[in-house]
Amino acid sequence: MKLQGSLAALTAVAVMLPALALAHGPTRQKVDVTAELAAEPAEVWAVVGDFQDMGWHPAVHATTGEGGNTLDATRLLTLGAADGPTIAEELYKYDAGKMTYSYRITEVAVEVLPVTNYSAHLTVKPRAGGGSVVEWRGAFYRGYPNNDPPPELNDEAAIKAVTAVYEAGLSALVDRFGAP
Amino acid sequence: MRRACPHWSTALARPDILALALGWALAALPAAGNIAYVTNQNGGSVSILDLAAGTELAQVPLPGQPAGIAVAADGFFAVSPDTKSLRRFDAAGNETGQVALDGGPIGIAHDPLRGRVFVSDWYNARLWVVDAASMSLTGTLETGTAPAGLAVSPDGRWLASADKEAGQVSIFDLESLALAGTVPVGIRPFGLGFAPDGRLFVGNVGSNDVSVVDVAERHVLATLPVGDQPYGVAFARGRAFVTNQHADTVSVIDLGTLAPLGEIAVGEYPEGIDATADGATVVVANWFSNSVSLIDAETLAVTAEIATGDGPRAFGRFIAERGD
Repeated sequence: MKLQGSLAALTAVAVMLPALALAHGPTRQKVDVTAELAAEPAEVWAVVGDFQDMGWHPAVHATTGEGGNTLDATRLLTLGAADGPTIAEELYKYDAGKMTYSYRITEVAVEVLPVTNYSAHLTVKPRAGGGSVVEWRGAFYRGYPNNDPPPELNDEAAIKAVTAVYEAGLSALVDRFGAP
Repeated sequence: MRRACPHWSTALARPDILALALGWALAALPAAGNIAYVTNQNGGSVSILDLAAGTELAQVPLPGQPAGIAVAADGFFAVSPDTKSLRRFDAAGNETGQVALDGGPIGIAHDPLRGRVFVSDWYNARLWVVDAASMSLTGTLETGTAPAGLAVSPDGRWLASADKEAGQVSIFDLESLALAGTVPVGIRPFGLGFAPDGRLFVGNVGSNDVSVVDVAERHVLATLPVGDQPYGVAFARGRAFVTNQHADTVSVIDLGTLAPLGEIAVGEYPEGIDATADGATVVVANWFSNSVSLIDAETLAVTAEIATGDGPRAFGRFIAERGD
């Protein structure tokens, strides 16, 4: 969730982007990151399973939202600092029994996360031999919806950015709960 | 911590699929019966599946992140947006021709009566008309903004285009290639298909419903709620089957009453959907799960799951019945 590229490059990109905010590139990308933790699933879910509190992720400064963990609940993540960039998200699946939820981004600047049409699942499962496995999976299109994207908004940039977000979050969970 | 490489790792991690991928040219193809040709967009290949046996016969490399697919009597056509090309293959997956399409090629439909292939240009509000025999570009047809899914009517009279950002379908007369008219539908229509009786079913990604269109009269007969983010439509046994990408389900609709018959749980991000010619089996490509689910169209039970390459889209008609 770091800023991508220089400010000058970002300004140029903003000018080039068309008005069709919901348009997207031709190929949806996927990222799948897992981490094994020493703690049991229920203990981990108690921390990551609240849609209204993403404080377990080191990049998230604050979470505000409405609707709790019910369908169509919303949250606004503020990144880094109180005046940091934001990501608006909504919940579209929640199953506490299966310890999984799915959400999508409803609004984010491509300078913050270079993706469009982003959805993701976060799931906690038991690990064979004890402990738990956390899986974070995302599906998204690149930040640039038209042909011939600039390098900072192409497919590779989108995959790299989302992977970095997931790895940072799951690394923090490994630090918190220990490796099995 | 394990990270799945978004390219070949999934297939190459499986020795059986690797062996098939390396040995496809030597395999005796195609087998008889119902064969599915599944475009693996992230993996850059086509999985050729024997549906009766529940096995992958071959995985043929197909560069350019292929998505759109249209089967023909003796092979299939596939669209690669990344390399901006349309390719023609024989039934065994050997390439027999290609044509460059400079724009954003995505959806495809085949008109076997006139030997034409139509490909939508996502970025330039038009369709390309390609001669199937010579694989040459013969013209373009103007559509609304961001045309995606294409379909040819069962009687061979109409071509329909889902113009996603325009919220409409464009209807063309296949004989004259003239625009017969447009019909406003739901929000962001993407996939569409003709029912056997000629009614057009359009999946609206943004409004989570399906528009049922009278093509000759060019108006909406009904709007049916389905699951979250509908994508593709197929027909079998007097029913419509609609993939819901974000619900991981297939909605089933009775074609007689248009009443909902339920939702079937399939794999993750179900997208392309098609039925066997006998109507017994509906096949769904699960984009995130790297598999297809087979549904018994009568009992609505999922009967099998077959592994594919990475990121199966199968956007179009992808099942063909092959002889011995």
